[in-house]
Amino acid sequence: MTISLWKLAGAAAVTVLFGISEVEAQAPLKIGASLSLTGTYAKPGTYQKEGYEICADELNAKGGLLGRKVEFVMYDDQSSTQTAQRLYEKLITEDKVEAVMGPYSSAITESVAGISEKYKKVMVSPLAATTSIFRQGRKYIFMVISPAEFYLEGLVDMGAKRGLKTIAIVNEDTLFPKATVVGTEELAKKRGLQVVLREAYPKGNTDFSALLVKIKAVNPDIIAAATYFDDAVAITRQMKELNVNPKMFGVTVGGDIPEFYTLLKQNAEYVYGSTQWDEVLPYPGQKEFLSAYQKKFKHEPSYHAAAGYAGCLIYAEGVKRAKSLDADLVRAELLKLKIRTAFGDYTVDQDGFQTAHKMVMIQWQDGKRVVVWPDDLASGKLRFPTPPWSQR
Amino acid sequence: MLGQVVISGLLAGALYAMVALGLGLIFGVMRVLNVSHGPLLMLGAYTTFWLFQWLGLNPYLSLLVTMPLLFLVGMALQRLFVRRVVDAPELSSLLLTFGVSIAIVNLAQLAFTADLRSVEYLTGSFVWGPFAFSKSRVIACAFAIVITTAAFLFLRKTRLGKAVRAVSQSREVAQVCGIDVGRIHMLAFGIGSALAAAGGSLVAVMVAIQPEMGQVYTFKSFLVIVLGGAGNYPGALLGGLLLGLIEQLSSLFLTTQVNEAVAYVLLVLVLLVRPTGLLKGRA
Repeated sequence: MTISLWKLAGAAAVTVLFGISEVEAQAPLKIGASLSLTGTYAKPGTYQKEGYEICADELNAKGGLLGRKVEFVMYDDQSSTQTAQRLYEKLITEDKVEAVMGPYSSAITESVAGISEKYKKVMVSPLAATTSIFRQGRKYIFMVISPAEFYLEGLVDMGAKRGLKTIAIVNEDTLFPKATVVGTEELAKKRGLQVVLREAYPKGNTDFSALLVKIKAVNPDIIAAATYFDDAVAITRQMKELNVNPKMFGVTVGGDIPEFYTLLKQNAEYVYGSTQWDEVLPYPGQKEFLSAYQKKFKHEPSYHAAAGYAGCLIYAEGVKRAKSLDADLVRAELLKLKIRTAFGDYTVDQDGFQTAHKMVMIQWQDGKRVVVWPDDLASGKLRFPTPPWSQR
Repeated sequence: MLGQVVISGLLAGALYAMVALGLGLIFGVMRVLNVSHGPLLMLGAYTTFWLFQWLGLNPYLSLLVTMPLLFLVGMALQRLFVRRVVDAPELSSLLLTFGVSIAIVNLAQLAFTADLRSVEYLTGSFVWGPFAFSKSRVIACAFAIVITTAAFLFLRKTRLGKAVRAVSQSREVAQVCGIDVGRIHMLAFGIGSALAAAGGSLVAVMVAIQPEMGQVYTFKSFLVIVLGGAGNYPGALLGGLLLGLIEQLSSLFLTTQVNEAVAYVLLVLVLLVRPTGLLKGRA
């Protein structure tokens, strides 16, 4: 105690005498994270890392956190849950980081959540969207993005408002899309839509003709597909081939990224995609984030970058309000916090489960992504209904 | 509804038949189950993609490039690697081609990245009454029929083709008759690879491609030649069409999730009940 008092006094003296800020005088505040920089999740994982870096730059430009310079210690978990577990152990026990941030993906977050709990570290997890992670009585984990169940809320809402009656729901048969369709079905029923078909297909499926023929036979107003990327592309192509003409067709993951249009060209027109974030959204701090990001990395951010950036800011806000790094104090603040960042709204329930962040729906119009839902964030009018393939 | 599904099944089946004929030919002649067959198909697909991307070459014309190119690659593979295990126990050739397959896929990932690519050439369909015929699939089917027929005629009518069949029936007798078995092996591996390449070129117009797209075709081809009878070349045609139909019909009457399961259960049944294939093996 005496030593740290002396240090403090010394730092104060240095500051007074030489005008050096405390940020430089004190030991940096190390925040640890493992991210997928190689392997299956390399792309989103790298974006997330870049988001963290922008956050650190911004905090440091404003005097750091608790007066200390923020420094990220980040490792590559190679998209592997086991590696990530080892890395979080190492970060906390060997590197002695004082805080941690979440890794990429639900699966890896789930696998390391036990470790951050064990060492009593708050872990804001910006890229974990699976509800179950946050429903196991864990105390120190916080969610930032919208849960899987709400990915297609916009599609259902827009359709119901325009008097559509029937919906067909299909999904890849894996954890995340399954959660999405459970939520979609519930939302659809609540809005009085009749679910005329619901079917899953295996991961890696490339031929959707029989499935689409079945859909065509029940002729739904809406086709909602909980997809990743490959399947979203294949379904769209084969809908054209089999002349399947719903009034609305929406996909989840994959529909919002530029490659979707590069691959499908004009066939992507009118397709709806859901996303956690879009750079055109009028959120506070958005412009600053975009310009800082582009200046540093020379390319456009994805929502993973924005979520990483926002997640780190949210953690910092909790620390600022708690005026401490103590996990219980920060936790109490993060549970109370209501904030709107460049990524959108943040509020959590008692489990740290996200309740405020809104998914947005985009529609491809003339080769561009136009935000069409929710109304207060829309950047353009939706093109409804989708004309039959023969008239495009 | 049933009609549409049968159409889709037959269209897919003709393509399976062509690709499987390649695998069947190699197996018939050398008793080597070429696990890298699917990855060779992937190379064909990428060749078509790059020719389309760089030179704007019509993907169907690119068959004239991909088939000869992969013919050479196939011959080289045979000469450099497969030749050494032809007489070894079947497990060695399986391991070898498995290794080659992994190498090809990983090299492709390095060279092409894992990004999805597509040849956006023919989309949409011919509509006839209540039926829709996907343009790219109809044309793929037509090419598959032409190429498969050409391969059959080659095997039936030409001296070289007869030599190939002779080697596949009995190597020793063929050798005694003065057939250069080593050359025939190379030739068969080349033709087999060229057939895979043709499949790749045609598939590239139908679906988005990526380095791991091929493996599933190895399994499908294996299934087809077991159904049709290993070493029985017309059997491959029957097996291919059958597989296409089974996949589509089981998706229609059951769910898409189980269509692969149904196909492989059938594989096991055929192996148990009629191990020579639906048509008798070896032609």
